[in-house]
Amino acid sequence: MDLVKTIKEHFSERLEPSTFHSRFFWRTAESLARSPLNRPQWKADRVSLSYFLAITRDAYLGRGPVVWCNLFVPSELVLGLGCIPFYPEMATAVVAAAGMGPRFIDRAAEAGFSPDACSFHRCAIGLALEGFMPEPSALLAVNYPCDSAPLSFAFCGELYGRPQVTVDIPLPGRPGGQALLAQQLEETAGLLAECSGFGGAEVEKGLAKALERSNQALRYLREVEEMRKRDDCTLYGVDAMGGISVLFASMGSQAGADFYRLLAKELRTRGCAGGDSIRLMWMHIKPWFAQGIFSTLAKGGARLVCEEYTHATWEAMDPHDPYNSLAAKLGNHFLVGPVERRATHLASLAEEYRVDGAIHYNHWGCRQSCGGAALVKQALQEKGVPTLILDGDCVDEREYQEGQISTRLEAFLESLR
Amino acid sequence: MIAALDSESAVAWFCTYTPLEILDAAGLVPVRRYGDAGSLESADTLLHTAICPYVRACLAEGIQGEGPHQAVFVNSCDGMRRLYDAWRDRFPDDLVYLVDLPRNTGDGAERLLAEEFRHLARALGEMTGHEVTAVDLREAALAREERRLSYLRACEGLCGEKRLRLAMAFHSRLYTDMPPCGEPAGTAGGVPVLLSGNLLNPAGLVASLDRAGARVVWIDLCNGDRSFATPTLPRGESLDELLGSLARAYLDRHPCARMADAERRYRTLEETVAAVGAKGVVYASLKFCDAYLYDFPRVQERLERAGIPVLRLESDYADGHVGQMLTRVEAFLEMLE
Repeated sequence: MDLVKTIKEHFSERLEPSTFHSRFFWRTAESLARSPLNRPQWKADRVSLSYFLAITRDAYLGRGPVVWCNLFVPSELVLGLGCIPFYPEMATAVVAAAGMGPRFIDRAAEAGFSPDACSFHRCAIGLALEGFMPEPSALLAVNYPCDSAPLSFAFCGELYGRPQVTVDIPLPGRPGGQALLAQQLEETAGLLAECSGFGGAEVEKGLAKALERSNQALRYLREVEEMRKRDDCTLYGVDAMGGISVLFASMGSQAGADFYRLLAKELRTRGCAGGDSIRLMWMHIKPWFAQGIFSTLAKGGARLVCEEYTHATWEAMDPHDPYNSLAAKLGNHFLVGPVERRATHLASLAEEYRVDGAIHYNHWGCRQSCGGAALVKQALQEKGVPTLILDGDCVDEREYQEGQISTRLEAFLESLR
Repeated sequence: MIAALDSESAVAWFCTYTPLEILDAAGLVPVRRYGDAGSLESADTLLHTAICPYVRACLAEGIQGEGPHQAVFVNSCDGMRRLYDAWRDRFPDDLVYLVDLPRNTGDGAERLLAEEFRHLARALGEMTGHEVTAVDLREAALAREERRLSYLRACEGLCGEKRLRLAMAFHSRLYTDMPPCGEPAGTAGGVPVLLSGNLLNPAGLVASLDRAGARVVWIDLCNGDRSFATPTLPRGESLDELLGSLARAYLDRHPCARMADAERRYRTLEETVAAVGAKGVVYASLKFCDAYLYDFPRVQERLERAGIPVLRLESDYADGHVGQMLTRVEAFLEMLE
């Protein structure tokens, strides 16, 4: 057994929920993040790390009403209403990266949760059952991108005895759909305002500010996207995927805008790496505990130049019409409704980023992505983009076959040369 | 005789939240499909193996040429939406429609579903050339209500596999071709249980419950009693009013586990257990159904708190493994006695 594994296991066994409620722990974590020992590849990463440490600290220390959100909950809404957004799906990615997913997944299994369900949510449930999650004031889920979030949040809502709200995004192209969604968002804002004690004027002002900051972030993100279309952009896809949390959970904060501003600036400064790598697109999410898959890509002369969930999928919003603006942002996402929308979006990304091939990582238990993988592959192949589907897991390392995946990847890269 | 599957008006449906009254009113003949549980692998090219086996069975059946290929789906879960996607890909020239369904059941959800039903009525009118009118809808709804009451009369005393087959026949056949009721099972023998879950194969797991000595007196399944439990007769004069009222009626049905109002579902289950005199609940669901995977720990805790024993079983729809379950079922029934 190697040393790192031994340390991890030792740490995992000694980890207690009380650790996260200790000011000392957070001061230490923040000091380490600021210290010269932490040398992120991008300056922007310091901003995002600092932001997530701060809001997670505030959530655990109870410095404001905590709202659990699934991936699609617009952080502008939560931040604008003076609440602290907490995204369990992102928390479990961190837990998985630390190699501690199995402990909490097993805890959920003890409580009767089937191994056939998504490990992001089983891990989150395990964390909640063991008392490792920050206690929510409310839990907010959107009915997309998957069924798991509303269902697992319902369980956790009951566990904590807190209100759990599900927002129903109507199918795209329905007359009146956006208005119906906007109405739900406004009702949800009412609940969040009750949590934070915001009055009417504060709500209006808070949301306007959040949307303005989100618009700033969007402008810089568009710049980043343009620069990433160049040959061998210096931002690797595997690092870009670390920014999924920024895209979904920090819009509406100053940190979100600063992150993309700094990233755009640094990409301009660093310029283009040059070279003639095989250009690949990554679909769905990456395994958070494994780097081997990306080493195989690098060894095979391939670069991830674009990823499914790191792009802006919405237009600038009107700060004075927050609910309609957020409804448009949510309702127009390519994962809402039929898979055809997702396939079309991915095909256009493949074209814009001039990819030579695409990889769809099937996270076990994710019906929305695995369910559509074959049809997405079909759509990409029709556009001349060879596509590889890999079965694995993003959180539970026990369900990840490193050797098998490497072999298939190598064969795929060989076929692209 | 099954509805004429080759007829131009036959339309397949798959989920009990399908507003059949609107399909009837549009001049269509809705036919419930149960898929081919024996050839799931035919669906592998379009659907991942970790997707609901009912969904894969339905696609397999469709691919093998069993019509109709005209189909109305409900956006009830990821699996069902993916079936719609695959079906549309496979049968691009057929009428294939996806009806939205909110998870919530309050006023906002009612407005959303009413709007969706209006959209469906308009779309079907355009597709079939038969405009849906208030008169059509009222007549269709009355006929559906009569059919529901006929089922409730016909299933009196029937249990287990026989009862489930009858429910499925009522879902699938034409009004004019109702199956004979057969001999009611009466109350002789067996331990009375309520079966709850998503959708099951009557010849598989349900038949094995009968063999083990269970008397399944109520079938809270998508293909069982659930859709017959409450009326969906809309009120109102105009088409708009009727569709709005129909939306409310569908939201008020005995809920599937995918709906947000779990409290109502658990209360309904508890009340039904008492009403039908069941001594316990067999909770059986198809693999890979998230709604029921996340529901089980909650429903178990809730029912056990109410003093109702629960047995959890899982099905792969083909149910080749049911023999292995018998011991567990028998032990559970023994405990209930």
